[in-house]
Amino acid sequence: MGNLVWHELARLVSITASICEYCFSTSIVASNTVAIRCSVGRFLGALFPQVLLDFVGGIVRNPGGIQPAPGVAVFITLIVKAPIIQILVMILGLTMIALEFSLPQVKGLAIYRSFVVRIVLLFFQAFLCILFYQGTNACLYSLIALGCYTRAQMLGEKMEVAKENRGKGGRA
Amino acid sequence: MGESWFRREFLTGRRLAFNVIFYGLHFFFFGYGWHSQAINTKLAALNALTWSVWTSRGAGLVLAFDGGLILLPMLRNILRVIRPKLQWAFPADENIWFHRQVAYSMAFWAMVHTTAHYVNFFNVERTQVRPEIALDIHYTQAGGITGHFMLLMMVLMYGTAHNKIRQQCFEAFWYTHHLAFFFMIGLYSHATGCFVRDTPEPTYTFTFPFYSTSGCLGYESWRFIIWPGILYFGERMYREYRARRATRLSKVLVHPSGAMELRIVKPSFKYVAGQWLFVQVPDISGFQWHPFTITSAPEDPYVSVHIRQVGDWTQALGDRLGVGPSVVANMTQAAMKGTEKDEKTGMTRGDFVEIDSNNVTLPAIRIDGPYGAPAEDVFSAEVAVLIGAGIGVTPFASILKHIWYRQKRGNLGTLRRVEFFWVCRDAPSFGWFQTLLQEVEAAQADPNFLRINIYLTQKIGEDMLWNIAVNDAGADYDPLTLLRTRTMFGRPDWMTIYGQMKQAVETGQYIPGSKSQLKTKVATYFCGPTPLAKAIREATEHHTSASVNFTFAKVCCYID
Repeated sequence: MGNLVWHELARLVSITASICEYCFSTSIVASNTVAIRCSVGRFLGALFPQVLLDFVGGIVRNPGGIQPAPGVAVFITLIVKAPIIQILVMILGLTMIALEFSLPQVKGLAIYRSFVVRIVLLFFQAFLCILFYQGTNACLYSLIALGCYTRAQMLGEKMEVAKENRGKGGRA
Repeated sequence: MGESWFRREFLTGRRLAFNVIFYGLHFFFFGYGWHSQAINTKLAALNALTWSVWTSRGAGLVLAFDGGLILLPMLRNILRVIRPKLQWAFPADENIWFHRQVAYSMAFWAMVHTTAHYVNFFNVERTQVRPEIALDIHYTQAGGITGHFMLLMMVLMYGTAHNKIRQQCFEAFWYTHHLAFFFMIGLYSHATGCFVRDTPEPTYTFTFPFYSTSGCLGYESWRFIIWPGILYFGERMYREYRARRATRLSKVLVHPSGAMELRIVKPSFKYVAGQWLFVQVPDISGFQWHPFTITSAPEDPYVSVHIRQVGDWTQALGDRLGVGPSVVANMTQAAMKGTEKDEKTGMTRGDFVEIDSNNVTLPAIRIDGPYGAPAEDVFSAEVAVLIGAGIGVTPFASILKHIWYRQKRGNLGTLRRVEFFWVCRDAPSFGWFQTLLQEVEAAQADPNFLRINIYLTQKIGEDMLWNIAVNDAGADYDPLTLLRTRTMFGRPDWMTIYGQMKQAVETGQYIPGSKSQLKTKVATYFCGPTPLAKAIREATEHHTSASVNFTFAKVCCYID
């Protein structure tokens, strides 16, 4: 009792964050591509991409909502016109999930036991998530997971070697 | 594996009934929430947002229901009182299990509710059904703020409550879970922003609840679900008051096996055998309450707990009492060396050392309890099977002592026989329990009343093997436990044990004078790890027949 293994807590929070952001980014990308007229599409279509920063200098139009200021045009291109950022986030999310839920293929790799890889990935995830409307919570959770992993790294915690790799020395 | 996980968890017996009722209610509330929103003409403007608003309202009502349920299994004192009366309806021992089911359901519906609201707010902004933008609703209005905070608290609380984390660091779980206080406040005030309304602007008032109930058309669910919260808060206050009543640590005994026995005198503390309590030592930590099984019988003039120094809190307690881990380790080593009866000092392995209270001032102590399943119904069964595994043997100290006291008074109820099983990996480390068993065993007049079965599952080294072989033959006492009962080696085969018991009961050999047309109740009480519990439960279920009724109960649910 009393000895918190930080990377295990971090793993749980990171899974939450990754699933959270993966679901949202997927649904946004899907809503861009799925035929809007089919009934599923209509529900998802409501999750139209929106830029978080668009309130900076934007004006509210009725109906239509916020019309972003020209200053954030680059985000409009990357998020609304083409879902570049969402696709990046999707890929990142999938990578995180593969890493944390540890696909059998990933378990054999050395990066599976690296906290630094996770910290970097989570940093990018947090950064990209905050750019669009639905990503705020995922960003926050990613930052918490990032903090926990950093703590784990600082304390010199070691990830347990996956069962299949035991006895392989430094090769896995 | 045999049967599948899904079948075992969801489709058998009481679980099935529970699932039908529990999830049935959830879907009913979801449907009702959805429907009542969809047909409400006052909310026509909101209904223009279609599915997302119906989904969010339905899921919101389900969440309110869950929020009302989540604290119910945590009302420990109320549960302790009503448990005996409701044993037939639900296994009240499994309150933590129920708490978890509600929490899982809450996580799922929170996901549905939040997703739907992300859609809602976005569409509110796009259609300007209200003159506000999505981010305003998310981060400036009561509903949005409390919602996001509740989600964050859920991530933290669920994360630290995970089995693995909780076992590594109970404090992380315990302290983080107190976010529940703010979570509940968030829940009760979630609707105060008057999001569900028939006007574009909210209608606030200056009197409680600070919004107009004619214009704000939420479910007002807080009126119903706030009561468990108030009860729980009251209970925590009561526990605090009760813990502050006069308590005195009267004696500390150190057993060579490393266990410290604290004898506490608290006249206001009433309990029955098999219960447990929380201990707090303000000198070590003013916040931490640690659960321990009560090892004294209600007849004893004191309350005792046996504490092994395994974690940082228990080791700090040892240091505070002047018997830190190093001191105890020396004593344990001496005891393990096999000095069974030391001629010089006359000490046996089970003897204890009392701490000289002149050298060390005994610290102040607070206890809270009792909690847990009373094993009082031992006396309503003909046969009691008590099974302890490893440290899980502790509740049976109290139960065995209690049985022993009642036996002396000739007040055993219907109890005719007691089978006691102790499955442990290494017998010598539980010296204090041997002393107790020796006493109880020596006091038996009827050799058939209490049978002690000790199983040692440890792999035995060559030295020990020879030791046993040489010492065991012809000796009056078992060389390992110093009991008259012989230690058995390897794991017990529960199917065979119960099968033989059933056969013996049915043929009338087991209980003298019992007629086979009367149904014999054989009550099993178990404390130990879950896989073993499962094996025993299966054995009891398998052997229950028309004439023998095997029941199964776990007596220490705080472990998991």
